Amino acid sequence: MNLQEYFSLVFSDYTLRTITLGTAILGAVTGMLGSFAVLRKQSLLGDAISHAALPGIALAFLITGAKDSNTLLIGALVSGLLGTFWIRGIINKTHLKSDTALGLILSLFFGFGMLLLTFIQKQPNANQAGLDKYLFGQAATLVESDVWLMAIITGICVVVMFLFWKEFKLLLFDADYTKTLGFNTKFIDILITTFIVLAIVLGLQTVGVVLMSAMLLAPAAAARQWTNNLSTMVVLAAVFGAFSGVFGTAISASQDNLSTGPVIVLVASVFVIFSFIFSPSRGLLFRQIRFISNRRDLELQKTLSFMYHIAETHDDISHPHTIKILNNFQGFTRKTLQKLVDKNYVTIDGTMWYLTEEGFETAANLYNQNIKKHE
Amino acid sequence: MNSAQFEIQLIASLVAIACAIPGTFLVLRKMAMISDAISHSILPGIVVGFFITQDLNSPWLILLAAFTGVITVALVERIQKTGLVKEDTAIGLVFPALFSIGVIMIAKNANDVHLDVDAVLLGELAFAPFDRLTVAGTDIGPKSLWVIGIILMITISLLIAFFKELKISTFDPGLSASLGFSPLIMHYGLMTVSSVTTVGAFDAVGAILVVALMIAPAASAYLLTTDLKKMLGLAVFFGVFSAITGYWVAHWLDASIAGSITTMLGVLFLFVYLLAPSKGLIAVMYRDKQQRIEVSLLTFLLHLKNHTEERERHVNHLNEHINWQKVKSETVLDLALKNNMIIINNKIVSLTEKGNAFTSQAIDYIITNEDAQIEDMKDDFFLFRG
Amino acid sequence: MDTHTDEHALNKGNLAVKVDDLTVAYNYKPVLWDIDLEIPEGVLMAIVGPNGAGKSTLIKAILGILKPIAGSVSIYGKPYHKQRSLVAYVPQKGSVDWDFPTTALDVVMMGTYGSLGWIKRPGVNEKKAALEALEKVGMLAFKSRQISQLSGGQQQRIFLARALVQEASIYFMDEPFQGVDATTEIAIINILKELRKAGKTVVVVHHDLQTVPEYFDWVTFLNVKKIATGPVMDIYNDDNLTKTYGINYKVSVQK
Repeated sequence: MNLQEYFSLVFSDYTLRTITLGTAILGAVTGMLGSFAVLRKQSLLGDAISHAALPGIALAFLITGAKDSNTLLIGALVSGLLGTFWIRGIINKTHLKSDTALGLILSLFFGFGMLLLTFIQKQPNANQAGLDKYLFGQAATLVESDVWLMAIITGICVVVMFLFWKEFKLLLFDADYTKTLGFNTKFIDILITTFIVLAIVLGLQTVGVVLMSAMLLAPAAAARQWTNNLSTMVVLAAVFGAFSGVFGTAISASQDNLSTGPVIVLVASVFVIFSFIFSPSRGLLFRQIRFISNRRDLELQKTLSFMYHIAETHDDISHPHTIKILNNFQGFTRKTLQKLVDKNYVTIDGTMWYLTEEGFETAANLYNQNIKKHE
Repeated sequence: MNSAQFEIQLIASLVAIACAIPGTFLVLRKMAMISDAISHSILPGIVVGFFITQDLNSPWLILLAAFTGVITVALVERIQKTGLVKEDTAIGLVFPALFSIGVIMIAKNANDVHLDVDAVLLGELAFAPFDRLTVAGTDIGPKSLWVIGIILMITISLLIAFFKELKISTFDPGLSASLGFSPLIMHYGLMTVSSVTTVGAFDAVGAILVVALMIAPAASAYLLTTDLKKMLGLAVFFGVFSAITGYWVAHWLDASIAGSITTMLGVLFLFVYLLAPSKGLIAVMYRDKQQRIEVSLLTFLLHLKNHTEERERHVNHLNEHINWQKVKSETVLDLALKNNMIIINNKIVSLTEKGNAFTSQAIDYIITNEDAQIEDMKDDFFLFRG
Repeated sequence: MDTHTDEHALNKGNLAVKVDDLTVAYNYKPVLWDIDLEIPEGVLMAIVGPNGAGKSTLIKAILGILKPIAGSVSIYGKPYHKQRSLVAYVPQKGSVDWDFPTTALDVVMMGTYGSLGWIKRPGVNEKKAALEALEKVGMLAFKSRQISQLSGGQQQRIFLARALVQEASIYFMDEPFQGVDATTEIAIINILKELRKAGKTVVVVHHDLQTVPEYFDWVTFLNVKKIATGPVMDIYNDDNLTKTYGINYKVSVQK
């Protein structure tokens, strides 16, 4: 199947529609909640939580023997929350720093999860539980009930976010101030954290434990570059996330041997790179262009003030001088001279130049400003 | 124990030592998550290296992959410098992208690359003894043993040669720069060693165990000592201990060796986290309780010193004024009496001479920011602790 | 010891803030020790003291951001949590992330969130109040600016506007003059003086000892313990400065 076939089939084929819808919803919800994680400077918490969820999945399978994803997700949720809780405990109660706590929980929980997974695989009744999909994600294993679950949780999440929007924004920006206004910051904090953990757990089947954190960060980091408004950022992140999900699924479905997770993550990374470079207000490209144009302006000003000092020596400012004098001045080019002529600051007469009235005044102003700055 | 079993344990132990050394410095420099990033992002380097060399143990592959690790660090720092995203986000963006590229490269060339994604995460320690190095027809041991052995030797020689510089640049980068050891060179040196170790260990134990072996032993050691040399020694010991016990647990459960070593590291950390003598959870909670009462005692004594009015010093007024619950006030009153800090006459509390001296000295220490001295002072004055 | 202050407080009428035996500890080391403090209504008060003296801690403990290990605080005779609507807070500028995706107007609107309570959204009235506050601090022209594109002084004015919107009776400000330009400093002090004229109480953590007599009428010297509190005219002298800063402090006190 190639991409074209995929897009023509996506509306008619039941399986394809289910999968695409699932990844789109997932991308949207992780994008939204990821914005909060990024703004709270908890970017790597998502990575730790998703790894910490693995032993929960394995234990849920060992205890219940059930293969249906809802049971396994409850296991993931419990162990994800446990990991989050323990990270906070380590940071609060010992002198270990937050990065160490994150790395510890991430690797230790994951290692324990892998021990359980390999143990399960060797069991006679394991009927190859297909738990492997939780490592890198298999969107193909999504069924309608999974998508319903995602949709319901996303719906709840949107409603809660809508209701507590004001409180979320306040806490994200200024937690101490939030307290003085009488809001229960602990409650808001737990609400946000729980939803982040929920979104991560929801994505494990599709994107996998290893790469889930990127789903949280990439759409949000990309969205941040395009807007200075929190609500726009959240909506944009949801859109970027949803598109990453759809495109990622499309590409991975149209090729053999491709797990969905890595492809979705790469698509999301492309969004990030594009945003970093091309965003009009923050992007690197326009920043560079502004930088260069500022430097040009500066050169222009320098040339003008050099001319001003020459013109000053004569009572008559329109007394002509040869262009040759300017060659002694570093930074002078024909182009800068032409620009000054275009701006009507300088008039050229053969090989001679003189300042216009306007040019003289502008230069005088620049000169005075410079003196002020140095004082 | 047969020779294959012995070799596996030897390899696991050497990997543990090779990881614990850079890991200790990563933990101290608050860069633990960088090891996570490196362990993931070397994957594309390994795949490309494998295309070229067709040998997972080739030194060229190791150097190429390690180079990818260093590039990752540089890339993360470059993104941080643009100010477009906050500190951690840069790490979180770079390594999943590079890892994804690696996974896709493996998937697209599944027929040519005998690399399994599971093996990438978990390693194939059990098979390590089968891939042997032969020189002039004689078998001189498993290849991965030689690889990790050489890496370990280099790490140890660098550690000994640059121990002083590493120590200074870790604890005081400013001083280090002024003494002429560039913190930047130390930083990238450490990153290179970490990357090389990660790549060398990767084949045997997989990406995630490398992270666990770097962070967990160092973090456990951190809770037990404040001396850098002791911390290194303890980290090495914890690593080797987990490697060997982990092997036998895996043997017994018939499960992944890497997963089992990580689990042992986890158990060990949990143990230290709870029981470490001064920084462990139980010790901290016990000391919290003691400190809470003792700082309340200080507060109470100072209150007595500040107020000469009898109404402020009446036993019944204490709850009301200091705003404590009855139980707490009684505990504090009790401790003060036991230590001869106060006397109670007609329900009016007053400082004794000893109490007065203690309080004055405590105020001096706190105001001059030498509050560490208070602990010593408590030893001098207190007969009973809180 | 406190009789002098007490008299003044009585003369001035109501007590805006009363702090009793307040002790706050970080990691079980006292940073504020047995503080008794009475702030009369309608004063413009500076809290001065060396670094680490617990100035910000005092404000945060009064506002309930930090939990004290002993003592109590009352605002107009009642505990703080019952009097929240009477109090506004201007945190240190450095305490928030100025790259947060929001505009100047949006930040000022946050001042109305407390009176709105949970869930309810700000409406037309709240927006009007925020615009008025922006105008008062001379920042109306910058209302749609992203906050990272403002200068340090402008950011401080936005914070001040956010507190003004709260229409409180008591204002607590943590180093509002830190890192601001001269124009902003004058603008801020004029607003503070206006607030006092309107009968409000203003408490400011202040660093610049030279300007204390010029800006404030009331002062508290703090160094873990309270050294002195009262009218600037009476107690702002070398003796108290020396007691607070530990070294022999000479400052030309204008009487």
